[in-house]
Amino acid sequence: MTDTLDADVCVVGAGAGGAVAAAELAEGGARVVVLEQGPRHDPDGFTARPPEMLARLYRDGCQTATVGAPPILLPLGRGIGGTTLVNSGTCFRTPPHVLERWAGEFGLELDEATLRPCFERVERALSIAEVTPELAGANAAVARRGAERLGWSHGYLRRNARGCVGSGVCVFGCPTSAKQHTGITYIPRATAAGARIVTGADVRQIVVEGGRARGVSARLADGRSLQVHAPEVVVACGTIHTPLLLERSRLGEGSGQRGRNLALHPATSAFALMEEDVNMARGVPQSLYIDEFAHEGFMFEGAAGPPAYAAMVLPLTGVRHSRAMSQYRRLAQFGLMVSDESRGHVRFLAGRPLIRYDLCAADLSKFRGGLVRLEELFHAAGAREVYLPLTPGVRPQRARLRDLKLMAFHPLGTARADARATHGVTDGDLALHGVAGVHVADGSVVPSALGVNPQLTIMALATRLAFHLLGRAVPPWADPIHPDPAQPVRPGARVHGTGPLTDEETPCPS
Amino acid sequence: MSHAFDRFIAAAPWPQRAGLRLLLALVRRPRGAVLLARAPLLEQAAWAMLSLGRYDDPALGRALGWDAGEVVARGRALRRAEGRP
Repeated sequence: MTDTLDADVCVVGAGAGGAVAAAELAEGGARVVVLEQGPRHDPDGFTARPPEMLARLYRDGCQTATVGAPPILLPLGRGIGGTTLVNSGTCFRTPPHVLERWAGEFGLELDEATLRPCFERVERALSIAEVTPELAGANAAVARRGAERLGWSHGYLRRNARGCVGSGVCVFGCPTSAKQHTGITYIPRATAAGARIVTGADVRQIVVEGGRARGVSARLADGRSLQVHAPEVVVACGTIHTPLLLERSRLGEGSGQRGRNLALHPATSAFALMEEDVNMARGVPQSLYIDEFAHEGFMFEGAAGPPAYAAMVLPLTGVRHSRAMSQYRRLAQFGLMVSDESRGHVRFLAGRPLIRYDLCAADLSKFRGGLVRLEELFHAAGAREVYLPLTPGVRPQRARLRDLKLMAFHPLGTARADARATHGVTDGDLALHGVAGVHVADGSVVPSALGVNPQLTIMALATRLAFHLLGRAVPPWADPIHPDPAQPVRPGARVHGTGPLTDEETPCPS
Repeated sequence: MSHAFDRFIAAAPWPQRAGLRLLLALVRRPRGAVLLARAPLLEQAAWAMLSLGRYDDPALGRALGWDAGEVVARGRALRRAEGRP
């Protein structure tokens, strides 16, 4: 049995890129269908308990990992909101020096002036604002004290949160719905403008005929097939899965770059035992940054969480682990993120993504330097003991790849944009080279590491793509409560098929 | 270990799932723990999994100053009171 939908644009994925593109397109008058592989998560089901939330909100129960030296855990969100549902909410505009590099190296005409209205529009839509010191909590205060004593550049982060009370579990599902993830911002706007959202839809192929997109075919959770007929397809499955969908569809292979150029921003964190009570989970976990060493390729950002999270990440074992956890109230944590020069690739193996990534010598050197500085930071803040994420007995300066305990949160680059068809998978307007009507709007188009959290960059690029498809200039801002009356709303896609499509809002299993 | 922790392990892709179960089985046995101590990163991975399950116990959390139930109840009350999604 096959259901059929007709649309002007089919968007695959409802995360940072897909949700933004869908809302802007739908509000601009396009008939939009959004296909999301995962479910819609109901905040009433958020329990603030890490194991349960990791299993429910993350792809592979948060256990997606790279193969290589060293292996790196790569948490990815799954469902309406994508990774924006489970990230820390940190928002940075693309650094100007990165845009300059993109112009020179990849021929992309994406300067600050071009992207400014896109950024402003997203920032308004997501209520992005700087964290206050009160909300940042004692964990941030520890790092701030250290940075001030050392004279290091630092500041409070800008986040997409409204009415945050510092629940301390951003990455386990915000229980107050303060975090303005795309599932509660852009997706409702898309729906209000007539877009059809189908959850549990596993897109198997992008259909192309005569060099032009004709739509997509998908498999629904109940086993039925779904065909969406659309002359424009926006692929936004995320950096790991977008190249795999392109591979299944035999698209984007002309340059040989599909699935390659994977950057991750590999990261780690250290803990410190302080004299004072910290209660790290009270406050915004990622609220402060230290960018003193950004020019050296690494940056520090806050990290924190409840006891189960801290116990999982704490780099100790045995009696030392138990002793440190018994003093959880006095533990502080801070993260180290590297702007990587290493590059990996993604391909299929036995129906699953195989993510290959090896840390290069230059990035190992950044980790060594970063861990030295992180230890220095905690000691300057008055730490009694510092616990580094290294093999016991190994000092940072002598750390080898196998001594590092890494995670990564920002996969980028596997369908990189490059003006030249011989060098990139997509062009400067995020259209797939060599085929009409297929576009990409997620981290995979970002052609290099950013050195900062990428969600705002992805959303701004998706905004630009949406208005490009609408044939309009990007208006300066959006107000979801009072939509721009100049933007007409049209009804959603018509439904044809052999039976009713039980698509909508598959509830999260409780 | 809780059902939630079992679901967390079950959600892993099969190679990791098998590996995690093996690590957990080893770290819970004295001779296994001795074996793991020879491979520090594996030992840390085993402790990470073991600790994630152990410290998810609400009573232990409350003893350390963290009450997940209270955080969730406050969130729910705020959402209802302010009409948040």
